[in-house]
Order: sequence, then C-alpha cells, then structure tokens
Amino acid sequence: MIEEPYRWVEAIANRREYIEAQLAPGSPIAALGYRDGILFLTVGQTRQKIFEIYDRVAMGAIGHPGDIERLRMAAIELASTEGFTRSAADVSLRRLVYYSLSPVMKSAFEHVYGPPYLARMLFAEVGEHPSEDLFLRVEYDGEIATNGATYVQARQDFAVLSGTRQSRELMEAFLKTQHAPDASFDATLNSALEAWSIGHMSLHTTDTHELPQRAAVLKYRHDQLANSGIEAALLERDASTAIRYRSLSDKELRLLIND
Amino acid sequence: MERSPVAFDQNPSGAAADFPALLRRKGLLAPAVISPMPQAVAPQKTWQPTEATTILAFKFSCGVLVAGDRRATAGNTVVYDRADKVLEIDRHSIMAIAGVPATAWEMARVLEHSFQFFRRTQLQEMSVDGKVRALSKLLRDNFGFVMQGVGVVVPIFATYDSHPKPEARLYFYDAMGAQFEATDYAATGSGSPAVRGILYYENNWGAKPLHKLSEDEAVSIALRALDTAAESDTSTGGVDRSGKIYPLIKIVSGEGIATLQEDKIAAVFKETVA
Repeated sequence: MIEEPYRWVEAIANRREYIEAQLAPGSPIAALGYRDGILFLTVGQTRQKIFEIYDRVAMGAIGHPGDIERLRMAAIELASTEGFTRSAADVSLRRLVYYSLSPVMKSAFEHVYGPPYLARMLFAEVGEHPSEDLFLRVEYDGEIATNGATYVQARQDFAVLSGTRQSRELMEAFLKTQHAPDASFDATLNSALEAWSIGHMSLHTTDTHELPQRAAVLKYRHDQLANSGIEAALLERDASTAIRYRSLSDKELRLLIND
Repeated sequence: MERSPVAFDQNPSGAAADFPALLRRKGLLAPAVISPMPQAVAPQKTWQPTEATTILAFKFSCGVLVAGDRRATAGNTVVYDRADKVLEIDRHSIMAIAGVPATAWEMARVLEHSFQFFRRTQLQEMSVDGKVRALSKLLRDNFGFVMQGVGVVVPIFATYDSHPKPEARLYFYDAMGAQFEATDYAATGSGSPAVRGILYYENNWGAKPLHKLSEDEAVSIALRALDTAAESDTSTGGVDRSGKIYPLIKIVSGEGIATLQEDKIAAVFKETVA
C-alpha cells in the first residue's frame, strides 16, 4: 500500500496527527539562561521530566515514558562514551543532537511500519557566558529548533517546550519581553513560573493569540502551585566544578516566589 | 558518536547501568582478561613497566587521610617525580594506587565515569557497597595481565557513607580484586611494610590512637611514614628535600574531599619531620 508515494505521504500525515494529539496535553517546560546558569522548570505532575545528561547538558521531555527513557539512555550513553574516550570538553550538545539523535528519530518517524519516538525534547548546554548557552528543541520527527538568531528572530537565551504549538508560542512571546539573559536567579525563577502558567493555561483554550492578563496568570499560578510541586534543575555556570547539574527542591524554590 | 538507522544500540530493557560493559560493547575498553594465563616463557628483562608506589590511608578525627608519594619508576629508573597516585573519583571518593599507572589511571577513569553514568541513568547515587564492588570487578577483569607480569594494580579506596549513619569508610584490595574493609589504616605498594609497622605502632602505643589525631598530627605521621618508606625502598619518593616535592595528601570527610596545599604540608614537614 505505501509503495505508492501518495499513500506514504498520507501515512506520514496521519502519523503526525496521531503523535501531535498524544503530545497535546503535555505540561510545558521552560529553560531560561540567566547570569549564573540555566534554569529548567516545570510544575509537577507525578513523573520526572527534567534530567541530567552530562556535565554541562540537561534535558526536559514530554511524551511517552518508554520513548523518553530510550532517548535519554541513548543521549547519556553517547555523551558518556565521548567524554570517556576524549574529554568532557569534547562532549558537544550540537553534535549529540544533530549527528546522533535527529537522524535516528527521523528514520523511526518515516519508517511507517515501525514505531516512531513519541517524544518532544528540550536540551540545553551551559556556556561560559550567557551568549554561549545553547538550547535545542528536538521534535518526534527529528526536526530541530535552536535559540540562535535567524532572519525572523533575534538570538534568545531561553527555550520552551509544550504540548501544543499555540501554547509554546505564547510562552515564547512572554519570555521575549520579560526575560533578560543577565537576570538574577529570583527574577528568572518567577519568569519561568509565569511562562509555565501561560503555557499551561493555553493548553485548554483554542485559538488564543493574545497573552492572558497578568492578574489571571498570577491567579492561575497560585491555584496550580497549591496542588502540585515545582520540578526544577540548574546547570550552573560556575566553572569550579565539572558537574554543573543540580536539582532544586520544591521547598527551597517556594521561598523565592513573589506571590 | 556513532549512529544506527532506526534504533539506538541499546539493551532493550534499558537497564544499561554497567558502564564498563557499555565501553566493551563499543570496543572502547580492553576485554576482561581473567583466565590465569601464566607467563609462557621466561619474563623478558628488556622491558620494564612503569610502576609507582607507596600509598597509605588512615582514619583520624576529621575523616580519612589518604597520602601517596610522587615517584614513578621502571626497573631502577626514576621515570617521573611528580606522579599523582591519589585520585579523586567523585565528590566523596578517593582511589589511591600502587602498581602500574597506565592500568591504574585507566581504572580510575572507568570508575569515575561508571559512578556518574550510574547516577545519570538510574537517577540515584551508587551505594558505597556498589562503588567498592565496581573497583573489585575492574581488578578482577585485569587479573590476566597481572599473571602475564604486566599491569598489576593494588589500590586503596576511601569514601564517605551517609547511609545508614554518616561515617568514613576505608578499603584495600589485593591484585585479584578481593576487598578488605580497614578499621583503622591501610597501606599498599613496595614501601608499605615499613608504613604498616609505623601505623600499627602509632595506633597502639603512640601518643594517641590514629582516630583521635588532629589534622596536623595526622599529616605529620603520614609524612614521617612515607619518609621512612623511602629510606629503604627506591621505588618510593618520600619527601624530596632539595626539589621541594611533597607527597600528595587528600582528606575525605562529610563535606567532600580537601586537597592539602603544598605550603601547608611544607610547614608541617619543617616543624615536625625535617
């Protein structure tokens, strides 16, 4: 059946629609570069969504837990063997994603008789300065979005991931105006939480292209935080230790929220 | 980094927690040579592996002190006089090595990556028992080389355990991988008989037992012990008075690992040893 080109295109389109529907309820994750590092944040459902990959690399993901786990393992194995045979400085997120992950995900997606990876991932690598931070979002079909400057956008020191495109774009619109790469940790934490709230609110609405009112966002954040925990991790810029990843507890973060 | 067409080269269960096994699968680590294959012919005298020796460790009031001299030798030649034999494996673990540095440094590197790999994949720290066993396995895998007369490594492993109760732990090994937990002190390497004598004496009849020593007192005993070892063992560097090369001393405690600064060691040496 799929030997015919049209059928193949149709099969791929169906598959895309199916995966998008599966990912749509995924709770947003925000990664924000600031003065002293990169903050990953989401507001907790039950399952861990932010992971350490290597010394300077972390990952956040939504999707099927089995697929996330396979991709996470592959990323850790690739980075660890590279770091072991050469050095930690030779582990490059750009190469890990472009050379190793993306082609495999694309192949799996386009082999219509086999299962695709049901996952959307956000990777970040902390640099010496905020201008060297790298953010890469990898889609289930191997597509990669970066934080680099293009003809339609300026370079961004943040990246977000969400279940729907609309939700992601609203979060990006908010962060573009509200977040600066030289921000303090407290300001960054509050921006990340607000971005998450905007993203999560817009998962349940259709066709909203306007940012919600600030008061509504803060109220939504307040209500959500009353019931669920914050999951967050840092990639520290401080070069005195090799391992930059540190997970942050809900308790220590709550003290810093402006409510 | 390699790529395969649709799936990643991976154990289907996802439980690839063993880093050395991963390295071997990718051809990045020599296969385990554990068959006891003795030297088939008389050992060749033309080539001598670089070796390095005398390390000691003992528990004192602030944790575990681990010290090693700096000399690496091949036969009767001094190859290097600033070798590091006291290696940090993670925030709370030290592996100190006596034997062939090429093998030992490789083991330390595998070990360091194994602990990180375990934490990242399994989302929890490896237990102290797991860490101690991981080193034992590497020694066991290397035993074939030991029987062939190259690659012998006899390490000491010091770490800090926070469960069930916070305490410093100290282990020593034999070349086949047997692990022994030391209650008070451990020493290995060619100069170790003298060091063991000193530590035994100090612990039983010294001014106070080792575990009650202050940091300065502990450093002083470590320096005296290494200097004594160097007095009769040519493979041990001890303290190089003219070159001002001091042993490497690290302390493992609940706060992590502290490396003593050279000027501090020099001050203790000047006051209590020289």
